[in-house]
Amino acid sequence: MPPGVVVTGMGVVSAIGRDVPSFTEALRGGRTGITDPAGARITGWSFPDEVHRLRELPARLRDRATRVAARSPLPLRVAVVAALQAWASAELHDRPLPPERVGLVVAGSNLTARYCHDAQAECATRPGRLRPSFALRALDTDHVGTLSAVLGTTGEGCTVGGASASGSVGLVAGARLVSSGEVDACLVVGAMLELGPLERRALTALGAMAPPGGDPTAMCRPFDAGRRGFVPGEGSACLVLESAATARRRGVAAVAAFAGGVTRLAANNLADPDEEVEAAVIAGALRRAGVRPHELSYVNGHGSASPLGDATEVRALRAALGVDFRVPVVNSTKGLTGHCLTAAGVVEAVAAVVQLDGGFAHPNANLDHPIDPEVRFAGPVARSMPVEVALSSSFGFGGFNSAVVFTRPAG
Amino acid sequence: MGGAVDESAVLEAVRRNVLAVVPDLDPELITPDRSLADLGCNSIDRADVAAMTVDDLGITVPVAEFGGVADIGDLVRLLVRHC
Repeated sequence: MPPGVVVTGMGVVSAIGRDVPSFTEALRGGRTGITDPAGARITGWSFPDEVHRLRELPARLRDRATRVAARSPLPLRVAVVAALQAWASAELHDRPLPPERVGLVVAGSNLTARYCHDAQAECATRPGRLRPSFALRALDTDHVGTLSAVLGTTGEGCTVGGASASGSVGLVAGARLVSSGEVDACLVVGAMLELGPLERRALTALGAMAPPGGDPTAMCRPFDAGRRGFVPGEGSACLVLESAATARRRGVAAVAAFAGGVTRLAANNLADPDEEVEAAVIAGALRRAGVRPHELSYVNGHGSASPLGDATEVRALRAALGVDFRVPVVNSTKGLTGHCLTAAGVVEAVAAVVQLDGGFAHPNANLDHPIDPEVRFAGPVARSMPVEVALSSSFGFGGFNSAVVFTRPAG
Repeated sequence: MGGAVDESAVLEAVRRNVLAVVPDLDPELITPDRSLADLGCNSIDRADVAAMTVDDLGITVPVAEFGGVADIGDLVRLLVRHC
């Protein structure tokens, strides 16, 4: 797809790190954020403090962020901080682009499930308690409005949904906006879905989510024979995708090239994974990137610890890479961050890029008995290795399949 | 509420809800001569403050009547009329 789309900025807020440097160190150390039976939580985090900490940004921008978003529901406050981090690292504050040349894709649907549930509970016996602002805050698109109000961007913007593949679907959509010339840069924000009690109950009953019990740090076991389902994780991340030409013109270094991405449906509305389409998006993304299977250094798998999902993914990887399936090192970030659901694709893109940039593969958590001994899974400690090409895959309920490829920046 | 509510009690309810919507505000600034907009409340914040105060007071006020409100004093007098 995109000749010349690069990553110029990144931000992340998750249970294992409140910014890119701390997230990177947690990955390197294999530190899990799943310490609570309910999953990986963002704890000890304050929106005004996190905004204030971004001292490289002008006070004017930080004040606007606080004024506009301080009272937004938690997922949006977290998204604003991730986006501000990315804005700062892409130096969009002091080497700006025209506001109409900056796009905004928010990845995720049903982001306000928990907020709506809480409002409903509060108003059940007293409808007068409902704040009129609910009409705006209950919309997923409040993320788009709020982020654009904070950052002052006026280029194309929208939400895109793809269930647990939303983040990756958003990256493909954002890269397309850049490569088509519609915008010079696009912020792709993987938005946090805060599960409400109904979603938790239904996901557990479906067998998708691991039932709570035992040591929380041992609950999430991607690609392990003892896996019991996904463990939710709170988090949001943002990537600034930009045309290589404007990045050069602005004098901003790319941290990676966005070399290709593919999203495909599987013609089903179930929770079932589809091996054939998974293999097709992996192979397709590599083809778009102009990368041969033996050149693939590293795979950031979807690896949700779903009993059926992980087994299907490993078979898809074999099918997509053929005899070269033993070449890339494979890990799952979800073992450390929990499953960041709608944000996962972007959180894991940040993970893939920092491993590409830092030359390592983070450990797999709780991988005692790999489901396929021939796949080159990362072990219990980080492995230092050159990463020239990284692929991140994401699969979601309802037949969403997506894969994106990052390579080292040119020059 | 049968006219038992005076302006100072209604102002207190308004003040409480303004602070719930704009927590960082100095309560001393919430006076009848100031407008909610002066205090940093946007149109949605103002709707929240009005709805929450109406609910606290247990009254009903037609939405159209808020259109003529210029400052906090106007808001208090409007609410008192419906108590």
